[in-house]
Amino acid sequence: MMMFASDGFLTDNSSSTNTGQTHVFTSFPNSAVDVDDEHSGNKTINQSDSNQYTLPLPATANETTSEQYHLWQIEYYQKYFQVDTRQVVERLIGSITPRPNKSYFDSTIRQNPDLYGPFWVCVTFILTVAISGNIVDYFHKSATEFQIDFSKITLSALLILIYWWLMPTAIYFFFRWRLNRIEYTFLELLCIYGYSLTIFIPISILWIIPINWLQWTSTLIASIISGSVLIVTFWPTINSDHKRFSALSMLIILFVHLLMALCIMLVFFHVSDKNINPTTETTTVFTTVLSTTPK
Amino acid sequence: MNNDQNSFLPSSQPIDIIDGNITSTSNQNELSTLDEPIFETIKRDLSAVLRKFSHALIPRQSLTLLQQWDLWGPLILVTTLAILLQTNTTKTSSGMHFAEVFILMLIGSIAITINSQLLGGKISFFQSICVLGYCLLPLLISAFINNFLFYLPYKSILHIIRFLIVMIAFTWTMYASICFLGQTQHPNRRILVLYPIFLFYFLVSWLIILHTHSK
Repeated sequence: MMMFASDGFLTDNSSSTNTGQTHVFTSFPNSAVDVDDEHSGNKTINQSDSNQYTLPLPATANETTSEQYHLWQIEYYQKYFQVDTRQVVERLIGSITPRPNKSYFDSTIRQNPDLYGPFWVCVTFILTVAISGNIVDYFHKSATEFQIDFSKITLSALLILIYWWLMPTAIYFFFRWRLNRIEYTFLELLCIYGYSLTIFIPISILWIIPINWLQWTSTLIASIISGSVLIVTFWPTINSDHKRFSALSMLIILFVHLLMALCIMLVFFHVSDKNINPTTETTTVFTTVLSTTPK
Repeated sequence: MNNDQNSFLPSSQPIDIIDGNITSTSNQNELSTLDEPIFETIKRDLSAVLRKFSHALIPRQSLTLLQQWDLWGPLILVTTLAILLQTNTTKTSSGMHFAEVFILMLIGSIAITINSQLLGGKISFFQSICVLGYCLLPLLISAFINNFLFYLPYKSILHIIRFLIVMIAFTWTMYASICFLGQTQHPNRRILVLYPIFLFYFLVSWLIILHTHSK
């Protein structure tokens, strides 16, 4: 006779043996365990403490084993965000301390490139540049003239995002066509370049101080430090073959890095001796130049 | 074999039937909230909103706040902030328009939701608007105070005082939103999830600090 068992499922109690057409649910697969339980939460914490280099899984890890995610589902992109706070801090510190023999890329990023660090470093850089540019305008113009300039956010976003995507694209194609192999995946290049912008965040706050030589020297020092981290990362690959290109390509990388920093400094922060206010629209730049020449 | 075939026919084997009334008690409650006087509805919703405001002012950890999210508070606070940050934009450079605060709020919520979901958390878009909106209350209070302070003399000290007031409100806001979000994140990634919220409130604080009256 069919009746409802204690666990809520319809079972056939008339025959003790399973006669093929009735299925008795007496066991449950592991995926039915609720991953939000305290027990499973403690389990992942213990795992991360025991072995320093195993990466703790995100909370939805148990459900990703057998499913293929599509481009429009957010779980598809979760594989680029498998990092912890400690790892991100490690990579940030590695990107501002150039060490001649050891590439921080090999030791930290290579086995697990992520998109969290580069993206939020870029966004922070964009915001600090825009806010600091507005602060410079605030102290420079009188109280009646100053307006919060939203176009600074869009301009700095354009410059920085173009740099962050352009250089990895160029280097990726350089490696593919010239050297005929893919030494670094595009994701790893994005990672390297994203983290290399870390040092410019405090520098962009330093750029507010309107002392000319301070702005130039801080730009140079910051570009040299982060550029040397880039060089240390790329040197082993470049140097292994095509020795003619190695020094030249290193110089080009350093030069473009310096160019980016100088561009941002001049557009947003530079206070020259003639007290020409840096503005973001070319027409107003022309009118101020024309108006100040009679002096 | 015969047993199994017959067990699926409706009239052959006696099956224990669960019988009862199809209208259960939960349906009864929903009908009663439709029939109640408007005063009751307004009182209930208003007390929920005011309770959330008090949580934003005096932060304490409570999971029910996220589960019973509502958008009244964010609407009131963001509209008030947009009105406070208005300037007379008669120059060629753009001032703060009314819609820009709303757009900032929208983009911030989308970014924080996507970031939190990518890192494995389980917050939804409307929950993050709720948290971000309600925790704006201290910053709004500081914007009010700044507007009144602007009419005093002593301009140079006033810069520093306004800066300090907004920074205190900013730390208060961050603490409130940390308490609101509570246990939704994996502990190893909490700072990674809280950092975009820090950036969002940082941007709003600087908009309040740099806001001046054009006379």
